[in-house]
Amino acid sequence: MIPSLALTAVAVLAIILLLLSGRDDECEERAAKGQVRQQTPQDNVQPAGLVRRIFSLEDRDFIRGIQSRELQGLFLDERRKVALHWVRQTTGEVREIMKRHRLISRQSANLDAGAEVKLFFRYAEIRFLCGTLALLVRVFGPHVLVNLAAHTSEVYQRMGRSLPKVASVSPGNLAAS
Amino acid sequence: MLIWWTGTLLEIIILARGYQQRLTRQFPIFYAYLLFVTLDEFVRISFYRWDPNHYSQVYWVTQYICLALGAGIIFEIYRVALRSYPGAARMTRYMLVVVFAAIVVKTLTMPSGDLFAWLASTSLVLERNLRIVQALAMLTLVSLFVWYAIPFGRNLKGILIGYGLFIAMSILQFALWYYSWDRFKPFWTYAETSSYLVVLGVWVNTLWSSETLHEAKPVNQFESDYQSLVASTREQFRRTLARLGWVVRA
Repeated sequence: MIPSLALTAVAVLAIILLLLSGRDDECEERAAKGQVRQQTPQDNVQPAGLVRRIFSLEDRDFIRGIQSRELQGLFLDERRKVALHWVRQTTGEVREIMKRHRLISRQSANLDAGAEVKLFFRYAEIRFLCGTLALLVRVFGPHVLVNLAAHTSEVYQRMGRSLPKVASVSPGNLAAS
Repeated sequence: MLIWWTGTLLEIIILARGYQQRLTRQFPIFYAYLLFVTLDEFVRISFYRWDPNHYSQVYWVTQYICLALGAGIIFEIYRVALRSYPGAARMTRYMLVVVFAAIVVKTLTMPSGDLFAWLASTSLVLERNLRIVQALAMLTLVSLFVWYAIPFGRNLKGILIGYGLFIAMSILQFALWYYSWDRFKPFWTYAETSSYLVVLGVWVNTLWSSETLHEAKPVNQFESDYQSLVASTREQFRRTLARLGWVVRA
């Protein structure tokens, strides 16, 4: 167990040292000169309408109505690019928010380690979601989540229709019988 | 012999330049370590030649002093790098406590369940385990330095890379020794000597002249309010998550 732990430690240490040796101090320099962009909560607000429009089925259904395969292909290709751009932009903003937080909190004498750990996990969660979304959009197209939600809803409704009696049995009925 | 003299010469050059550039004041533990290592080589050779019966005792005593000074180097890296960053320093202390606690818990849950038995089953095993602890402490330190974008400057970065490489090579040696030392021994002598020369080369290069570390600019009053900062970051994350939720509801 110890040798494998040792080899892992050496490997990780080597990777980190490599990263460290290649790291430039540009970010630190900017921070030292106080040039970190001041970001307000309003900066990352995007209209919900825009997001819904990018990922919704409305435009796709309209293009389908024209019944041109070429146009449909072009539309899906373009919409995929727009969706991926949006995901990348969101990832970039989250990274920027976290970077700003780190650069300021590193100087706070009253830093709360627990709060930092929670924020880190929230950050990791968002990055994971963005990564998964980007992968899904790249592989299945921009309407994957809507299709998935619609499919789930349909399956749920079908199950509800096929089990009317079970659904109508309430705890009160059971108690009475 | 030539390689040995090259190493010693490089150590003397680093010490001389450190004194000349007043780096010895900035990194006293590191230079004390290097001075000790340089003198130690002469002491060991003298005993080996003129009093071989006591060589083993001298070797282990000096080796443990080196280990203690090595732990001091890690503390010095922490102290110098985080001097202007109390928040990052606090987080680092917290993480180091977590790492050491994890090591202790892991050790206590081992079949023998005895921390001291694990540490001191033999002198060689003790050294290997202490090197692993040093490596883990260094990993934690470096990860947090990268996370909080702590500027090192050329000198501190050099010490960190050189000493990190040295620890990595030591652990690798112990790991290979555990598997099959006889197979690796002929190659290892060359690998160890050349890697130590690389370490010394890194130190000569990065500690040749003194570089002043930029003091961190104090943050303004609004930003210094840590609770507001956390609330603001949390709120921005909440908005981002909500935006990701719109995708599903599109």
